[in-house]
Amino acid sequence: MKKDSTPYVIGFMIVLCIVFGAAVSSVHFVTSPILKRNEQAYKYRIISEAFALSPPDTKVTSYEETVNESLTLDTLIKGNHTFEVYAGKDGHTVGFIFRGTGFWDQITGIIVLSPDLSTVRNIRFLSQKETPGLGARIEERSFTDQFDGLTIDWNLPVEERIIIDVCDNRDKRNCVNAITGATQTSVALMKILNSELELFRKAYRKIKS
Amino acid sequence: MSYTPKHIFFKALWEENPVFRQVLGICSTLAVTNLLANTLFMCFGVIFTTALSSFVISLLRNFIPKRIRMIVQVLIIASFVMMVDILIKALAPDIHRFIGPYVGLIITNCIIMGRAEAFAAQNKPLVSLIDGFASGIGYSLILIVIACIREPLGFGTFLGYQLPAKELWWHQWTIMVMPPGAFFMLAVVTWFARAYSTKTEVKK
Repeated sequence: MKKDSTPYVIGFMIVLCIVFGAAVSSVHFVTSPILKRNEQAYKYRIISEAFALSPPDTKVTSYEETVNESLTLDTLIKGNHTFEVYAGKDGHTVGFIFRGTGFWDQITGIIVLSPDLSTVRNIRFLSQKETPGLGARIEERSFTDQFDGLTIDWNLPVEERIIIDVCDNRDKRNCVNAITGATQTSVALMKILNSELELFRKAYRKIKS
Repeated sequence: MSYTPKHIFFKALWEENPVFRQVLGICSTLAVTNLLANTLFMCFGVIFTTALSSFVISLLRNFIPKRIRMIVQVLIIASFVMMVDILIKALAPDIHRFIGPYVGLIITNCIIMGRAEAFAAQNKPLVSLIDGFASGIGYSLILIVIACIREPLGFGTFLGYQLPAKELWWHQWTIMVMPPGAFFMLAVVTWFARAYSTKTEVKK
């Protein structure tokens, strides 16, 4: 059979697709349980970091055990919004998983607050698909550390409670410096945090009263 | 005329450097070089994929029908990139967090297709492997030089570490963070590389 004949071309492509398709599928099948475990491990690790917990070592099981020992997990529902709420068993912290649309895709993270919801203690990101090297830098400590100690004045309009912008001429108590070159991600994150905080506060106050 | 493996290696590395000579791989050169760490991870991915893809395409070169050779090359390259992506995600999830978005982009890197079409499709597997490897190294050299300039000027950091006594002397060059900065730096590096390259050729 000639190499350029139609039956050869079709047959060759079919064989190649089967071989390489099988190779990629096999790699995915074999690593699937590892990927699920990694995702779960990463979530526990991020929650541990957000709540400043100290597991005895860096094993996956240690993070999970530390989170289960130190925090309680509840579900809060507000309208069609469901919050996954973690609270320190010592009563000093409360945090929830926030979600929203970033510049490119969904941003998911956890924000930890004081029990009266007036101060931000920490923020960490679980997943984001922002521009690498620009918006994706929201995960870096140089950005997230700015949230530590941020004050939330609930008397302010929703969109002004947390500001992510150039903070030179602003009240630094509720302002975080945006990432250079990532204006859209910074604006999107600001909107996500302010709207999620507002919804969470309404749901949280209802169960506390 | 056949070349020795050593000659092929150094030719792909410098004389026929994919970035400043052949003007290939420009998209990723512009996209990733604002941070050195991202650049390094991207370079490893390109070196690995270019070398392996060239090797496999060369192994199959006598069986691939001419009229579908590009489709076959893209399929092989894409398969390797996907396997690399899945393996990194499973075995080194923290590294994947940095380079995950870039790994998929490797499929579109024209260096890999360029070397497959220009070299691997016509040469033996071992020399194709060397050519692919050297092309990846040549690409990496230029990207690392650009990143070593863009990151300190644009962010005031080097590999993520703050520059010493930054508050005393450093002023941010915002343009270095943005795509125009990448264009300017690529043009400057290409200019210097070609000028040096031409000078050494004239001397020979």
